[in-house]
Amino acid sequence: MKVSDLLEARRENWSALEQLCKQLESRGRRRLDASAVSRFAALYRSACADLALADAYQLPQETIRYLHQLVGRAHNQLYRSRLFHLSTWTRQLLVDVPQRLFGDRAVRLAFVVFWGIFLLSGVLSYIRPDFARHVVGKETQAQIEEMYSQPVNKENPAFRGAMMGFYVAHNAGIGLRCFAMGLLFGVGGLVATIQNAALLGGIFGHMATTAQSGNFFHFVTAHGPYELTAIVMAAGAGMRMGFALLETHGLTRIASLRRAAIQSVPIMGAFVVLFALAALIEAFISPSSLPYEVKFGVFVFSIVTLVFYFVFLGYPRGHRRAVGQNPDRRS
Amino acid sequence: MHTDAQQLDTRVRVVTPENIAFQYHVAGPFRRLPAYLIDLAIRVTAGLVTLLGLSLAFGFAGLGSVGLGIWLLLFFMLTWFYGGLFETFWNGQTPGKRIMRIRVLSVEGQAINASQAVLRNILRTVDALPFLYPLFFFYLVGLVSATMNKRFQRLGDLACGTMVVCEEPHWLKGVARINEPEVLRLTPSIPARFQPDRSLARALALYVGRRANFAPARRLQIARYVGVPLREELGLPQSTNLDHLLCALYNRVFVTEDTPEPNGPPAAPPASEPASGASPFAAVAALALGERGDA
Repeated sequence: MKVSDLLEARRENWSALEQLCKQLESRGRRRLDASAVSRFAALYRSACADLALADAYQLPQETIRYLHQLVGRAHNQLYRSRLFHLSTWTRQLLVDVPQRLFGDRAVRLAFVVFWGIFLLSGVLSYIRPDFARHVVGKETQAQIEEMYSQPVNKENPAFRGAMMGFYVAHNAGIGLRCFAMGLLFGVGGLVATIQNAALLGGIFGHMATTAQSGNFFHFVTAHGPYELTAIVMAAGAGMRMGFALLETHGLTRIASLRRAAIQSVPIMGAFVVLFALAALIEAFISPSSLPYEVKFGVFVFSIVTLVFYFVFLGYPRGHRRAVGQNPDRRS
Repeated sequence: MHTDAQQLDTRVRVVTPENIAFQYHVAGPFRRLPAYLIDLAIRVTAGLVTLLGLSLAFGFAGLGSVGLGIWLLLFFMLTWFYGGLFETFWNGQTPGKRIMRIRVLSVEGQAINASQAVLRNILRTVDALPFLYPLFFFYLVGLVSATMNKRFQRLGDLACGTMVVCEEPHWLKGVARINEPEVLRLTPSIPARFQPDRSLARALALYVGRRANFAPARRLQIARYVGVPLREELGLPQSTNLDHLLCALYNRVFVTEDTPEPNGPPAAPPASEPASGASPFAAVAALALGERGDA
């Protein structure tokens, strides 16, 4: 059998497969009926077999390139990307993420660094006004003082909707950036954490010394726990990736990074949710005219849910360990 | 991780579950930059259009700031999840990538999943460093990372185990036919049973595929290496043009003539059945590739 005969014999199959690929690409799998799907699979296998024998049957280079492309195209339609599944995500968020975070040393480091620097910067700013001026900056100081010069219950409800959008975009953006920076061997995330902690600590310390401190704490109490925890989580998850490049547990650096990165995705989801919750509180409860006791109640409630999430859900239960969990912890 | 020690250029081999190896060209920076710029333009346009639309719609209702809040959420999604969502639902492509005919795949050659799509786009922040606020990214980190591995992977790709490949369209062409009268005249003098070995057949096909790019003198020079021994082997006169000889051999080997061959055609395998899609070569493939449960 000559090559030209072979090509003529195959042409029909190949162009049928090409047509089916085109349909799948433009309309998606659900629009194709069952017979077309099984025909697609059969044609794909047949094209694979042709490609395998291309060399033995001395097909021209051009045809081989065409077959590579055709098989690749059909392969991409057959093995499609898996979409988000709500059930696996709930399981990840409520079971896997807390357990992973509970034992994760990168998250502990982020926690200690963030709160250490935050407290240090806060105390120093409280004692020495020029420290706060250096850390926070004069302009920012003036801005914030102006922002809290009025009691917090002046805003109309529609404006709160705008603020909610702003808080999600701004804060979750900071968190995601902090997370991504962790990839630079953990150093980027550490620097970003220190910056955030020093700035926030400076603001808290400075505001405590001013006349607006009442307004300020009235505003920040309710959403503080969720927001600050989310920042720590973001930094920790990012550093987990960066440290995986350094501590490889016997894998190659890239393989170790990949393992840590895939595990960090649900954590990312968790902290984005936390940022959104914080923004919800920050937009609708913090600026409201509710008495301070209610806001303090929200503060306590936030802390209780966080403890429930991280300690109760997160306490190890003898499942397989994730990357970076403390190996000497007995469960 | 699937690594291929034989990789010489930008082609990477992918082995499918059907045990077939096929090749991809990985996309380099000059293919990916335009795709990125197109996506950036789409994001900016979408941001402006939605801002206009929402502020008009909610502005008439007297709730302008609610519209602004919704827009800020949209803006956040556009900034951080545009690429991730498109690559999840469009099977590894964003609009820019589709226009530039590139696609994100995992390094094993399979389609990426949602986590890979989202994460590689969030880690873009690092690859885009250093940047000048608010819009000018230099992508130096990503560029350096891409030059340091075989698949042009930026850091986000390395972390997610993904790569970006080109999807070149190749059209199915038939076998090249040479209809020059000298060649057609020469073809009958080649024995019908002439069977070149595999490397010679490939050399003939490559030569015929490319001879159009060469001047006649250069064709003769290239054809000499194979042509002279073949001319002697076939007992053809010294005056035979070597370029035409190679073309005639090619015709004899690859192209079926309309005239029936004197010795009868070689036993042809049964014609394939397109409806079942099973290739007559599948059985041979199974033999050639060892014991596989698929046919």
